[in-house]
This record gives sequence, structure tokens and C-alpha cells, in this order.
Amino acid sequence: MAYFRITLMRSGIGMPKKVQGVLHALGLKKRMTTVYYPVSQSIAGQIMRIKELVDVKEVEHMRTKEEMRAARRPDKGYYIEKRSEQMEL
Amino acid sequence: MFGPFRLTNPLSGGLLWKVPWRLSRHQKYRQRERLRGVDTIVSTVDSALARLGQSLKKVEMWKKEMPTEQEMLPKDKYTVFDRKVKRYRKGIHSKCALLLRVGEWGSRSSRGIGEEAISVCA
Repeated sequence: MAYFRITLMRSGIGMPKKVQGVLHALGLKKRMTTVYYPVSQSIAGQIMRIKELVDVKEVEHMRTKEEMRAARRPDKGYYIEKRSEQMEL
Repeated sequence: MFGPFRLTNPLSGGLLWKVPWRLSRHQKYRQRERLRGVDTIVSTVDSALARLGQSLKKVEMWKKEMPTEQEMLPKDKYTVFDRKVKRYRKGIHSKCALLLRVGEWGSRSSRGIGEEAISVCA
């Protein structure tokens, strides 16, 4: 199933009420917020209203907030070769 | 010599802080990028819906009537209409344009009329 990945690139401040309402309805409350919605006509119509403010990609899978955070996290820079033996009490 | 309090003509004089009448090539480049971004979004939405066998009237109208970034005239790309200005056009970068929200980016289309629409009108 395909999804729209919508990211708010430009703020809705100063935009007409209808545009701000669409942003709110899609859950885009701050810049750089990313939301996923299944591809449908109603979502496409909403995107057309805010097309100057957002970045839209069609993706195969949806990502949760935690998954997006984990993808942003940089590499640790080390790996554990072997765990030290645990003390047995 | 350097830093925020350096002595330059705009800072010491006051009246020299003027907005040039034309956009720099970097401003023009960024404007073209913005316009192209809208074009890609419309094509993304269109192809995603086409894969489901659907279409949207709004998208169809946009494709029919609105010129893409390449098709747009420089006049439509870099200037906006203003009834108070001599010859009715001013640059998208001018301070008054920002303050008065003339042609606030995205709030209304400043793409001009596509060639097809002109042929329909004629």
C-alpha cells in the first residue's frame, strides 16, 4: 500500500485561514513535521492546497514517530565485540 | 573590522540600506527551485493517484492551465502584480511586497496563464 510522506518545509504563518486549517487537519503544526497518509483523493486534494509549503514523496511503508527518530540517530561510532562475563551471585 | 559592528556604508550612513531593484542570480535560482518544487509535488500526487486508477479534478486543471517552471515567462517568475506600482509589476524580493503580502508565496498563484488557456480564450 502506498503512502504520502508529507513534511512541512515552510511555516503556515501569514497564510490564509483555509491553508492553516488544512495544515492543522493533517497534523502539521511545526516546521519539519513529517506525517504519513495513505494515497487517496481526499489527501491529494489537501496536498494541492498546501503544495507550496510542503515536501511530498510517495513511499511504500509508513514509519512511526519512534522509527523516524531512530533513523535520524547517528551511528554510535563503536561496537561491542564481546560482553564481559557477568558476576554470578 | 569584522563582526556585527563593522564600519560599512549602510551601517554608518543609514540611507544606503536599499533593496536593489533586481534580484540577484542566487535569489532567482532559489525562486526557480521553489517553483520546481511545486511542479514535482503536483506530478508526484498525479502519478500516485494514477497508480490507483484515480484522478483529481484539481490536479487535472492545474496540469491543463498552469505552466511549469520552464514554460513560465521571466515576468511571472520574478515579479508580482501590484496596482500601485508604475507599470504594475514589482520584484518578489521587494520589502513592500513582503510587508503588504502582495503575492505572498503560495497564497495565490502568480504563474500567469498557460498557453493552452490562452488558446482556449482566443
